[in-house]
This record gives sequence, C-alpha cells and structure tokens, in this order.
Amino acid sequence: MGVSALRTENLSKRYGRLLALDDLTLDVAAGEVFGFLGPNGAGKSTTIRLLLGLARPTSGQAWIFDTDATDVAAAHRRLAYVPADVALWPRMTGAEVLDLLARIGPGTDTAYRDELVQRFALDVSKPAGTYSTGNRQKVALIAAFATRAPLLVLDEPTSGLDPLMEMQFRQAVGVARDNGQTVFLSSHQLAEVEAVCDRVGILRAGELVEVASVAQLRRLHHTEVAATFTGAPPDLTGVLGVDGLHSDGATTVRFTLNGSPAAALRALADADVATIVVREQSLEEIFLAYYGQNAR
Amino acid sequence: MTATTTTAAHPQRALRGLAARQVRRGALVVTTVCAGISALVVAGYRTDALDPTALAALARNPAIRTLFGEPIALDQAGGFTVWRTGTVLAVLLGVWAMLAATRITRGEEDAGRWSLLLSGPTTLAEAVRQHLGVLAVVPVLVGAATAAAMIATGVDAPGSLLHGTGLAAIGLFFVAVGGVTAQLFVSRSAANGVAAGVLVVGLLMRMVGDGVPTLAWLRWLSPIGLLALTRPFDTNRGLPVSVLTCAAVLLMALASRLAARRDVGAGILATAGRRPARTALLGSVRAFAVRRTTRPLVAWSVGIGAYFLLLGLIARSMTEFLTGNPQFATLAAQAGFPALGTVEGYAATLYALLAVPVGVFVAVRLAAVAADENARRLTLLLAAPVTRVRLLGAEAVVAGCAALVLITVAGIAMWAGTATVQAGLGVGDALAGAWNVVPVVLLCLGAAVLALGWAPRAVAAIGALPAAGGFIWQVIADSINAPTWIRALSPFAHLAAVPSTAPAWPPALVMVGIAAAGVVAGTVGYRRRDLSA
Repeated sequence: MGVSALRTENLSKRYGRLLALDDLTLDVAAGEVFGFLGPNGAGKSTTIRLLLGLARPTSGQAWIFDTDATDVAAAHRRLAYVPADVALWPRMTGAEVLDLLARIGPGTDTAYRDELVQRFALDVSKPAGTYSTGNRQKVALIAAFATRAPLLVLDEPTSGLDPLMEMQFRQAVGVARDNGQTVFLSSHQLAEVEAVCDRVGILRAGELVEVASVAQLRRLHHTEVAATFTGAPPDLTGVLGVDGLHSDGATTVRFTLNGSPAAALRALADADVATIVVREQSLEEIFLAYYGQNAR
Repeated sequence: MTATTTTAAHPQRALRGLAARQVRRGALVVTTVCAGISALVVAGYRTDALDPTALAALARNPAIRTLFGEPIALDQAGGFTVWRTGTVLAVLLGVWAMLAATRITRGEEDAGRWSLLLSGPTTLAEAVRQHLGVLAVVPVLVGAATAAAMIATGVDAPGSLLHGTGLAAIGLFFVAVGGVTAQLFVSRSAANGVAAGVLVVGLLMRMVGDGVPTLAWLRWLSPIGLLALTRPFDTNRGLPVSVLTCAAVLLMALASRLAARRDVGAGILATAGRRPARTALLGSVRAFAVRRTTRPLVAWSVGIGAYFLLLGLIARSMTEFLTGNPQFATLAAQAGFPALGTVEGYAATLYALLAVPVGVFVAVRLAAVAADENARRLTLLLAAPVTRVRLLGAEAVVAGCAALVLITVAGIAMWAGTATVQAGLGVGDALAGAWNVVPVVLLCLGAAVLALGWAPRAVAAIGALPAAGGFIWQVIADSINAPTWIRALSPFAHLAAVPSTAPAWPPALVMVGIAAAGVVAGTVGYRRRDLSA
C-alpha cells in the first residue's frame, strides 16, 4: 500500500441531536482521483469541513499525508480547496483574489495559472462583485489547480459551470492526475465522476456505504442483458446469477445479471442467439439504486 | 383524486411579517433605552435654584452651545432632560435606524436571500417599501414611549410630546437615509458608510450652527439641528419637526423610486467595471487585514478629526466662560463634565468621549471578520496554510493599531484647534489625554474577540458594550446620583482626567488585564468552535 493522501479513522460529527457523519473510515491513496458521492445532506460537506479543520470532529481523526488535519499550518501546505459556494470580497478583482490566494497559499505555478485563466475564459480585471456563481467558482478552481498542491479537495466544483467549462475542468483534473496530484472530488455530476474518477465512495445518511472503483461498482451491480433468438428462447429460470427475467414478445428475453455470467452464457449458447446486447448500468443507475434503498 | 390546498397569497403581509421579525429585538432595546434614560434623568433632576442672569450668560456662550446644544429651559426637569439626553438619544436612534434599514434591505439582498423573495409576484420596489414601512414604525414607538415615560415621571405633556415627536422624526429620517443609500450602493458597508457620513455631517453642522451666530441657519439643514430648533419645554416650535418629517417622507419616496429603477442585486451608482489589479497589501493575512481596514480608517479619521478640531476651536471660549461663571462649572460637573475651567481639564473631559467612537470602531472591525466568516469569504483564506489564531491575531492587531491611529488623529486635531485659538494646550498633553482612553478601547477589543470566539453573531454589540454601554451607564449613574459601586461598573469611572492630572496607572492596568483575559478566552473559543465558513 502506498502513501495515503487523505485518511480518516472513525471520524464522526454530531450537531446537537443530528449525527451528520457516523464513524467514517476512509483512505485515499496518493495519486488517486477519488469521487465522493452522496445525496444532499449525506455528510459530504461535513466530511470536507472536518478534513480542512473548519469544523472539529466529535470523535475520530483525519490526516492529510500523515499530518493531523487539525494542524492546518502544516496540512494546508499540501492541499488546495475549492468550496461548493465560493464567496469573494466584492470589491477585489479576480486578479487580486488570485494574487492573494497565491501569496498566502501553498505555492503557485503562475505560468500555469495564467494558462488556466485563458482556458476558463475568466475576465480577471472585473470586481468579484460582478461575477456570476460560475465565474466565482472559476476563480477558486484556477487558484486551486495552479497551486500544484499534492492534494486537491474539490467540493461540487462544477455546479455552476457550463458544458464547455466542464470540459476544461475535466482536462485540468487530467493534468493534475498526470502530475501525480491526488484529487478528492465531491460531486453530484455522476457523468463527471464516471469520467474522471478511479474510485468512488458513496455516503448515505452520514455513513459510508460503498467504496470501490467505478468498474468494480458496476460489476458488483447488475448488468442488463437483452437477447433475441431465431427459435424458441431457452428457459433461464433458476440459472445462477439471472434476475428479473421477462420475455419481450416471443423471441426476446431480458434479464439482469448478478456476479459471474458463466452459467447464463452456457444456457444461452445452447439456443440460437440472433442478437445479444449487454449493457452495464451507468453510475447514475447504481446511484439511484442507493437512493432508492434510502427511500425505502 | 387528491385535493390540493393553496395558501391564500398575502405577499404584502408576509413581507411585513418578515421585516418585523428582523427588527423587533433591536426595536425593543432602542425603545427601552430611550424611554428609560429620559425617565431616569427626569427623576434625577434636582431643582437647585439657578440664577436667571447666569442662565442667560450660559445660553449666549458659543462654546457651551457648540458642545451641548443651546441650553434652554434648564430650570425645568423636562428642559434639562432634553438638553442632557436629546443629542445622545438622537444619535443612538439615528445610528440604529440607518443600520437596521440597510441591514434588512441591502444586507438581505446582498446575501442573495431576496432573489428567492422576489421570484414571486413581489417587485423590488414593493419589498423595499414594505421593509422600510415596517421599520418606520419603530421610531414612532420610540418617540411615543419616551414622551409617555417623561409624562409619567411628572413633566409637562406638550414639551414631552414635542420631544418624542422630534425623536420619532429623527428616527424616520435615518430610516429613509439608510433606505436611500441602500438603493445607491451595491454593498451594505458602502451604504452604511455614506449614511453614517450624513449623520456625522449633520452633527457637525448642528455644532457649528449653535456655536457661530452667523451660521445659525446651518441648523435648518441638519436633522439634529432641526431637533434642537423645536425647543421643547421652551417655545415648543412645531415647524422644525415638520420640516424634518417632510424631509424623511421625501427621502422615503426617493428610496422607493430608486428601487423601482434598478435591478435586483445592482445599485443606482454603477460599480466600477474593469480595472487593473492593485496588488499592494496582498502578501499575508496581516497585510490583507491592513488593506481592508484602510478605507474605513480614513473615513473614521475624517469624521473624528473634524469633531475634535471643532472641540479644540471652542476650547478657549469654553474655559474662559466657566472660569467666569463658577456656578456652571458645578452644573457641568453634575452633567458629567467636571473641571472644564482649564484647557487641560476641558481636554481631559472631551478626550474621554473619544473612547466611544473608537471603541465602536474596533467592535465594527471585528464584526466585519464575523461577517466575512458568515458570508464564507474566509473559507478560501482558512483553506490556505493559515491558522485561525494567526488570522484572528492579524485582524485584532490591525484593528487595535487602527484604533491607535484614530486616537492620535483626534489628539492632534484637538491640539490643532486649540493652537489656532491659542488656548495653550501642549501637543504632549494633547496626545497624553487622547491616549488615556486606550484601556477602554482595549476593553472593547477584548470584548469583541471574546464575542468572536463564543458569540459570533453579537460581535458588534458585545464589542461596543464597554465604550458605548459604559458611557450610557455613566450618564445614567451621574444623572440619578447613583452610589459609587454602580458608577464603578463603567470603565469611564476609572479614567483619570489626563492631561489635567496624571494617568491612573493601576485602574488602567486592571482594564488592560481584563482586556487581555478577554482576548485569551476569545482566542480559545475561536480555535475550538466550528466555523460557519
């Protein structure tokens, strides 16, 4: 096991009677792009506030590269942060905010920063008071990516960005990954998480319910199969791994696959398969399944 | 089939309810303070026989008039109360009214809460009108409660009612001023700054108008001057208060018209567009604190400097008058201004007043830190390798140093005034007198840091308490001849009359010690608590 960029052990946070985060133990390896998912109020932002030392844990501990997260003078030398809701001093221009953040931050690559300003098409000579939500987010994103800090903590960083800027964002995450930076991305944009993340953690009601790679997540879950046959479809009832079996007309069978497909494939091979479509569920569908469980 | 119930839409009633929720607590405090102080001073008035010729001399003296307003009807409890408390209460009510007006309109809009509010059928102008309308009720309540309290304590009804009406008109005027500046500027702080400027200029115009007979007309242009011109318990004039009320109504209408002409989130005065970056003072959290303090510091320096320059200019006239009329030296002492007969005593007495605005300045600066935290502007700073203690330390040190600058400006301004009229105040004495209030200002700093650590929503109020609360406490204690231990609760009771006497080091050190304890306890709280960032 390599170095941990970010680690929590039994991290809990209670606000009065509400247990916002329950016993979170998580380990994000250096160099990884980690997606942090969960419905609203699941505890994602609470986790990030604890990681940044903005809130104090009720119990448990967090580390940033083996530095206690509460030691912000040391821990924050190795991270950069983009909040979900970026608030700036309204009279300062974008350039002034970037200058301030560069000078008190963990060190900034100003050439790359200038490049990012171009790429995100941000007019930095305007006062921040005139910026839209998306433009304020761009300021924080540019400041964070330009630091080249080994850990980037991004809390729903693209909620205000248009699709073009979203593309720039993905590209910047790619550059960060190539530089060996770790990215901790809390997001609702499942397509984005699917596109950039190596692993995801799913938080529900303050508890971590799943940590897996995107591919593993899919494998853990159903694969949808639709097959048509030239003759009569085979009887797949009771075949290992086959679920939700139903016929679609006389020649088409639909079912979902759980786990190994071997038994189902053997059963199919005995019949005359005309076409077969195998579709993995999207992260969104997997995620909705978790929402669904939550609702029940 | 499901039946849906829709709440009947009463947008205006809902708006008024929202506004009322936001002002009711402050309204209660202001009403209680204004009515309570007025009643206490009436009750504490002692009918010492005053010589009519001496009274006439007092009323003619320009310095007395400049400083305290025109002394009229001092032989009655009501007249004395108006003279003693009128300006203080007018300033208190005016400041509250304008701050509340900008808070519930521009402040809410700035925080983005009005976007949701105005997505319904309500227009911006309607929202502004309803909010200012609700707030305008408060000064009327304050005036009514003050008049009722005075009448109940046994003074004439006509004078009390006129005084109450005057206070109500002042409050209305500043609700309207805050309402107008909130339409003009995009940020609440700019709106507050300009509204406060109107108040300070009004106060200075009243002082000059009262002190210089050829400029007496200036009082007709100043809200506080108009209040004085009503002469309650004397000639009871209604015209000035009508003028003030008309001005308030016109400004209200202007606020409503301006609101109809602008976009939500925008101001009438356009914010500057593109400009080159000014990168000075961005290198550290302390430099950044200096950067954010500079503009307010300049504005406060101009206001306080002008006030103390004026006090310096009247110093000679005042001291000569009191030396010639010792009876009034006693009266002034009873009113909380002892030893005005020498220029040093005069300077010492007035420098003590300096603690109030400077203490409020410190409290407001630390309240700005709490506001930045609440608006999540500090998040990006605290995500950098900056500890909370360093951030708080930088803000507290910069606020403290800015306060020292303000104190020095006041010291030099008064010295310059006295030097112009050759009143004979040494520059060293002037600075010593001004710096004498440092312990009280530090108490404010300590209280503000304490509040930032443990009660971040009340930083301004708690931070201003030692100076503003202590001052009002002393005024009440003096007026009702309270026992020594009650007087001793105010920090002002422990300030020596520097430069006429030597500084009282032991109480000064005790105050500094209490302030330091406040800073330490506040820092501990600030380190431990969750930030709303």
